[in-house]
Amino acid sequence: MIRRLFVLVLLIIIGYFLGTAMASIPFGAEKVDVGPYRSVGNYYVDNTVQETGGVNAVTSIVVLYRGFDTLGEVTVLFLAATGLAAILALTRERRKLKKEKPSLIMRVGTDYLFPAAIVLGSYVFLHGHLTPGGGFPGGVIIASGFLMLFLAQWRYKVDELGLKIIESLAGMTYVTIGLIGLFKLGTFLGNFLGKGTPGALLSAGIIPVIYIVIGIKVGSEMTGLLQNLRETTENE
Amino acid sequence: MGSRLSKFLYTAIVMFVLWLLLTSTFNSQEVIAGAIISVLVAAFTHERFTRKGLANLHPKRVVCMVLYFFYFFWQMVKANIDVAWRVIHPKMPINPGIVHVKTTMKSDFGKLMVANSITLTPGTLTLEVLGDDMLIHWIDVKATDVETASKMIPGVFEKCLKEFLE
Repeated sequence: MIRRLFVLVLLIIIGYFLGTAMASIPFGAEKVDVGPYRSVGNYYVDNTVQETGGVNAVTSIVVLYRGFDTLGEVTVLFLAATGLAAILALTRERRKLKKEKPSLIMRVGTDYLFPAAIVLGSYVFLHGHLTPGGGFPGGVIIASGFLMLFLAQWRYKVDELGLKIIESLAGMTYVTIGLIGLFKLGTFLGNFLGKGTPGALLSAGIIPVIYIVIGIKVGSEMTGLLQNLRETTENE
Repeated sequence: MGSRLSKFLYTAIVMFVLWLLLTSTFNSQEVIAGAIISVLVAAFTHERFTRKGLANLHPKRVVCMVLYFFYFFWQMVKANIDVAWRVIHPKMPINPGIVHVKTTMKSDFGKLMVANSITLTPGTLTLEVLGDDMLIHWIDVKATDVETASKMIPGVFEKCLKEFLE
């Protein structure tokens, strides 16, 4: 009974704050006035390159105009991975599966493909501000390289503590970059580095730096997640 | 067996070439970034990636590898025409079956190359590699005894691959 009462009070509090937050949004009103631009989309198309130095408008929006949002996304992924690890740790009993040994083609082929997958992933997250891609897909490509090893080489294991350290360092770097922007320019995740020549690898200020961090973070997170999932089954 | 340094250098060079292919530019920033990434990746993966190390880059081997690419391409064109003919032929002259062949390749990489070459040419498909034995699905079984079949399927690739792999 007390528990239900507690939930009710909590819901009322959340409802109140959500309501006050929503009340200030003019639903149904005319579009926000962005000067000569008909919508915010046109503004991005016309000004992204001059303002950020990044030729990929999508990346500039994701990392700079809405950088705070992306930090939230990274947190969501982190919470999902942590939640999955917690749930898997609770299921003590491991399913025993009778699996066939990976064939020579898989075992040897993955040895040669693995370094190439890491290089491809690094390429994708380093060129996030120039080509379609960025930290998230780059990190997932790197994790897929590890997935190949998990599938084809049973004895292969990644040091879990090492993964956690790399991931935490990457997360801390992301926040630190944001704080440097806050102190230097007065906005969290402000672009405090030079814009450079649009199109060059070293351009667009903090975008490549943040995408390197996100790539490393997503890569290590997904690798840990895949390893956790694999460990719920045991070879018979 | 190459030394650690030779393995490391070989892996770094191959990864750097891959990076150049991906970026397709000699812009100095890109080249430096590629060099850093190749060295980092090679530092962690060279034990996995290669056994012979720099010996793989012997000019004779590189030339043979390029020649093999053309040879394999020619085999693939022939097999494609053969399978296409079987597909459009009104009687569909196929005689599918699984044959047991033996490969003469010694190294794991050699076996991988032969198995993948067989799979990539239409009409034949490697099902399993166990030691020297290979199980191959063949769209038109011409021979069932191990010796003749070995000459007809893996033999075609082996005589060319042996030059630079073994």
